[in-house]
Amino acid sequence: MEAVNPLILIDEIEFSYPNNTFALRNISLKVNKGELISIMGQNGAGKTTLIRTLNGLIRPSTGSIYIKGEKIDSKSVAELSKIVGIIFQNPMHQLFSNTIEEELKFSMKNLDLSKEEIKQKIDVILNKFNLEKYRDRSPFNLSGGEAKKLAIASIICRDPEIIIFDEPTLGQDAKEIDFFLELIHNEIEKGKTIVMVTHNIEFTFENIPRIILMANGKIIADGPTEKVLTNEFLVKKSSLILPQIQQFKQGLKEIGIKVPNEIFKLNDMIMFLNNYLKIKLSKE
Amino acid sequence: MSLEFLNAFKFLRKDTIIHRLDPRVKLIFAIVYTINALMFTEMIPLFLIFLSLIPFILLGKLVKQWIKSIRSLAFLFIFIIVINTLFITNNGFSFSIAMIIRISIMISAFSIFFLTVDPNDLALSLISMKIPYEFAFSFSLAFRFVPTIANEAQNIIDSQQSRGYEMQKKGIINQIKNLFPLLVPLIISSIKRAFNVAEALESRAFGSKKERTFYFSIHYTKTDWIFTFILCFILLGLIFIRFQIIIMPEWFKWSLPL
Repeated sequence: MEAVNPLILIDEIEFSYPNNTFALRNISLKVNKGELISIMGQNGAGKTTLIRTLNGLIRPSTGSIYIKGEKIDSKSVAELSKIVGIIFQNPMHQLFSNTIEEELKFSMKNLDLSKEEIKQKIDVILNKFNLEKYRDRSPFNLSGGEAKKLAIASIICRDPEIIIFDEPTLGQDAKEIDFFLELIHNEIEKGKTIVMVTHNIEFTFENIPRIILMANGKIIADGPTEKVLTNEFLVKKSSLILPQIQQFKQGLKEIGIKVPNEIFKLNDMIMFLNNYLKIKLSKE
Repeated sequence: MSLEFLNAFKFLRKDTIIHRLDPRVKLIFAIVYTINALMFTEMIPLFLIFLSLIPFILLGKLVKQWIKSIRSLAFLFIFIIVINTLFITNNGFSFSIAMIIRISIMISAFSIFFLTVDPNDLALSLISMKIPYEFAFSFSLAFRFVPTIANEAQNIIDSQQSRGYEMQKKGIINQIKNLFPLLVPLIISSIKRAFNVAEALESRAFGSKKERTFYFSIHYTKTDWIFTFILCFILLGLIFIRFQIIIMPEWFKWSLPL
């Protein structure tokens, strides 16, 4: 088999803040094209610091980062932001224009696009995010959820290959989370790579195939979500709790109902219980 | 760009004689040094005043932060030298050096003040000067929010950079235009925070009673009095020298031939 270069390769990086607190210790990581990854861990574990190193906002003190096989040390943030788009937690930190259209225009400023191309892209993006009706409105009148949508739109319109979210589901209602889920699946289908930092255990367990657990600036686990998040030791070490399905499974086990190991999703669980009850009732 | 220089004005908890002083002494200190700096336009006296700050910095173990605060002004210093040397024909260079020392004195004095005064003590000392609690409290609150706002500014810079915003641009107009993406979010989120803080305070019954009691109290100790006397002595001495020009030695007025 031909060896494929990983899209992101982090090679033993370390970083400490000026007050000498270690934020990242000896981090090595490989991310391939098209992956969907969640980074979890307690507050202060170094998750946000780690994602900030990916577009050069933070430069590690030792070690190197390669994106698409190239070392990023000498590249500017502006250059890197064409490949890596980070959507930060607070959308209010980036909105400043008079209208939503201008806000999106600002994002596409240094992409060498013609006026028509920019206009076309804005049309597509506004449509995709259901923000068409707000086009000429001030971004400061948007609700929290819509502002977040706009912040996401202002990165997606730049078409970066790697999209990084910091707490995307925070403060979002169920409908907005569904929209977000659809969006990330769409982007993955287009061949994008998505990394997100989140505290939302259920969301990750249901939807994200790979997880990275961090604690005290180190990566303590990296693997398939259903393996990592069902490991009680790891979950405890990173100050998380087991996903509800897993807790439910344990509860069922205690009353003598054994759920097969491969059931992780809510739908599978419903199917299993359905069958189980049918069999049980027919026996009686 | 980083806003690290703001750290030179952020309270730093340490256990030194300067930190233990009453905040009122440190306020007098900052004011005395500002007056001292404004009294003279000659290089030599300003330089001597500047030197007299060094013992305070050493006593407070603040050398690192102090160097940072001075370094952050490098751009302003170059600007002063260039403008003064170009536009003042008579001794422009010497004058600009004097002005740089003057600014350094004021910045250092206030940097020492902010680095060593706990914002909570500041409110107490203002109240002891009979300033109404509401004002004293908002003043100390403003202090407390300096690092928070610096942090927020850094976050704003990071989010704008993540969507291709470039910090350095050529041309003054471009640079001014370039500030909007940073200033607008900063101002808006600061105003929002102010409203939130006000609501949080009111929901905890802020201002429900006229008379307040305090958990901590501050006292003027012997050391505080000694420092106050030294500061008053320096101030009076310098005022005397300033107005009795005859006493001011000739070498005080020396300047570079530029």
